[in-house]
Amino acid sequence: MNSLAAEERLAFQHSTARLLADRSTEVDVRRTMETPSGYDADLWKAMADLGVVGLIIDPAYGGAGAGPVEVEVVFEEAGAALLCSPLLSSGVLAAGLLQALDDEDANLRLLPAIADGSLIATAALTGPRGTWTPGAVAVRARAEGDACRLDGRASFVTHAHVADVLLVAANAADGLAIFEVEARAAGVAVTPAPTFDHTLRIAEVAFDGAPARRISTSRPAWDAVEEALSLARVALAGEQAGGGRRVLEFTVDYAKTRLQFGRAIGSYQAIKHMAADLLLESESATSAARHAAAQLAASASDAKAAVELAAFACADAFVKICADAIQMHGGIAFTWNHPAHLYLRRARSDAQLFGAAAFHRERYVCELEAAHG
Amino acid sequence: MADDAAAPVTDDGLREEVRAFLENQWTGLLQGETERKAWFAKVVEARWAVPRWPTEWMGRGLGDVQARIVESEFAAAGATGTGQDRTNLWANTLLAGGTQELKERLLLPLLRGEVGMCLLYSEPGAGSDLAGIRTRADRQIDHFLINGQKVWTSYAATADYGMLIARTDWDVPKHRGISFFFLPMKQPGVEVRPLRQITNESQFNEVFLTDAICPEENLLGELGQGWGVLQTALAYERSVMGEGARGPRSGVAESKNEEPLIALAREAGALSDPLIRQEISKVIGLKKLNALNTARAKAEMKQGTSSALMSLGKLAMSRILHEEARVRTMILGAGSLLEGPDFPRAEDANFLTLNAYFTSIGGGTDQIQRNIIGERVLGLPKEPEVDRDIPFRDVRSG
Ligand SMILES: Cc1cc2nc3c(=O)[nH]c(=O)nc-3n(C[C@H](O)[C@H](O)[C@H](O)COP(=O)(O)OP(=O)(O)OC[C@H]3O[C@@H](n4cnc5c(N)ncnc54)[C@H](O)[C@@H]3O)c2cc1C
Repeated sequence: MNSLAAEERLAFQHSTARLLADRSTEVDVRRTMETPSGYDADLWKAMADLGVVGLIIDPAYGGAGAGPVEVEVVFEEAGAALLCSPLLSSGVLAAGLLQALDDEDANLRLLPAIADGSLIATAALTGPRGTWTPGAVAVRARAEGDACRLDGRASFVTHAHVADVLLVAANAADGLAIFEVEARAAGVAVTPAPTFDHTLRIAEVAFDGAPARRISTSRPAWDAVEEALSLARVALAGEQAGGGRRVLEFTVDYAKTRLQFGRAIGSYQAIKHMAADLLLESESATSAARHAAAQLAASASDAKAAVELAAFACADAFVKICADAIQMHGGIAFTWNHPAHLYLRRARSDAQLFGAAAFHRERYVCELEAAHG
Repeated sequence: MADDAAAPVTDDGLREEVRAFLENQWTGLLQGETERKAWFAKVVEARWAVPRWPTEWMGRGLGDVQARIVESEFAAAGATGTGQDRTNLWANTLLAGGTQELKERLLLPLLRGEVGMCLLYSEPGAGSDLAGIRTRADRQIDHFLINGQKVWTSYAATADYGMLIARTDWDVPKHRGISFFFLPMKQPGVEVRPLRQITNESQFNEVFLTDAICPEENLLGELGQGWGVLQTALAYERSVMGEGARGPRSGVAESKNEEPLIALAREAGALSDPLIRQEISKVIGLKKLNALNTARAKAEMKQGTSSALMSLGKLAMSRILHEEARVRTMILGAGSLLEGPDFPRAEDANFLTLNAYFTSIGGGTDQIQRNIIGERVLGLPKEPEVDRDIPFRDVRSG
């Protein structure tokens, strides 16, 4: 896969960090997460102008031509800032899926608009079981002359409520394929679902004879889905590593300044030792996320294993850091006004998206078996 | 030769030079001590043992990046002996603090692996709190007289020298009155008594020091400045402990080209058990994460400043070893009730269960590592120490 030169990557990281420090503060996040759309359209435009939305999109289609390493770096920043945005859905998952399928017409039609932020796309890849495996797909496609129609339902579709285009995995007569559907077409019902993580948007999508366009590809469609999911998992891993690091930072700062029994609580070992253990979690998550990105970018033979490892290690680490952070803060972190629970909500959601930790652990062992088979 | 070695080389030039050396000299496997020592001598002579060191001491004055090229070429050939500028605790401590005389006498033999060494730090009354030692070193005309008792001293029975901390000033606070020595072990004033370990082995010992003699030139650093020398030595020790520990000891081979836990589960018919697969995945994941952390820490750090981040490695390794032993036991089930040569897998699981404490207690316990990480890395306030600033004479012990 693609990569940028190191200086270019740093520039992306710094400009993203600056933009988010400015426009995705805690106040911004709290405001945005309560809006119906769940994202800040002006910030979205600014991110697109910066090149972040079209980060992985080929320059031929108006993108920056970057790859997993840059995605990981940008999502570390997004995770730290609890960014509310369809970036993962549109810029990573949908754009990644289109590029993996490589249908020239579809690319020309969709990628430039995804890159400049004027079109939001997302992928509907799993049914009510929410396992992100081909067996869980609950949409069927039927041919109708030259056109196709979809029936059935897709669940846990991220940012579907603001999407213009859905890329839908559906079972056709000749096997699983990916279909392009106008999100606001007749026969498509997008029902937003209430989410535990208010910074995330998820919808249930029902298809009832929805008009669809089949995206052609020379490879098995689910292989392309896996490729896109790998990229999305690297993005999530970066988000988890970045989010965990931020939570640990503000927790350690608090432990240095909160006094009880005449001493900073961080001088007590019960607190200090938790912090030390969390530093190990945080550093390990960072290592895992960056390694997965690097291996994927290099198309290394162990890239799949590295992504599986990052998927469960970063998910578990982020949840643990957030959960322990609340305990270490005491009552203050039990209040809605304290940011710790916002991160815990994000961590618990990220840990389910695109497959849970146990699923990735199983696949990790499979990869290791295969590597030595 | 020395000048040549110091001249800057390109990465490619260096790589070629290492490869040529290994191609001409490295035979593959080393059988026994004699061959091992002969090989190490060759590596030292060719200046590959400590490429980061100055040329004066058989180094090449290389930066970290180039030294890693040397290490990776050796690793690719399966050859040992290089990278000692990171891993040879004894030689690095001596280089940092030793007198010219002592360095001339011992540095190269240490690199060649010809000198048996041990660590004379812990005492019955001073373990985690090493600054509380009561072994004394009293200055005579041209030597020090050492009196006291050390304990848990690994490999003391075969050691030629011990890195010793002893108190030389009782009237200053505890960290300030300590000095650091290379104590000759083969002398009448040093009595070594083996202790039987929980692993049923006897590597560690009690060491009784009665008017033992330590030559003046064997003092490292200034008199009373031994605590600083000790910190350097501990950093090297912990960084090595963070990278690994002893493996199974049964001698019955495990699959070489497969993860040991997967091979063990396969052999035990447990590889299809989903619960065991989850546990295996966790442990292998932890190992891989530690390796990735170490690689990242090394890439981000210069040599010698490793203490804090490497403390993370030792803490991680201690968890890995305990977890790996637990999962081995889980895979064997009732099989782990047994021991002895007829049951090598049980022997290994049970040995590893016990030996994991070597890493979680030795070299500073997990609790002490967490204190260090919390205070030195995260900057959390220290716990009040009641005995920190009073003359050691007045400190309570027990
Ligand atoms: C296999 C093995 C080999 C060893 N080899 C050597 C050797 O070669 N040379 C040598 O000098 N020593 C050696 N040691 C000794 C080792 O360094 C000490 O055992 C260790 O530092 C702990 O000291 P202690 O045993 O006195 O326990 P203590 O210090 O008495 O500790 C007892 C318990 O109290 C806890 N504790 C103590 N202080 C604190 C604190 N401030 N905060 C929180 N918890 C605390 C400890 O974590 C531990 O759980 C070896 C030990 C082992 C197990």
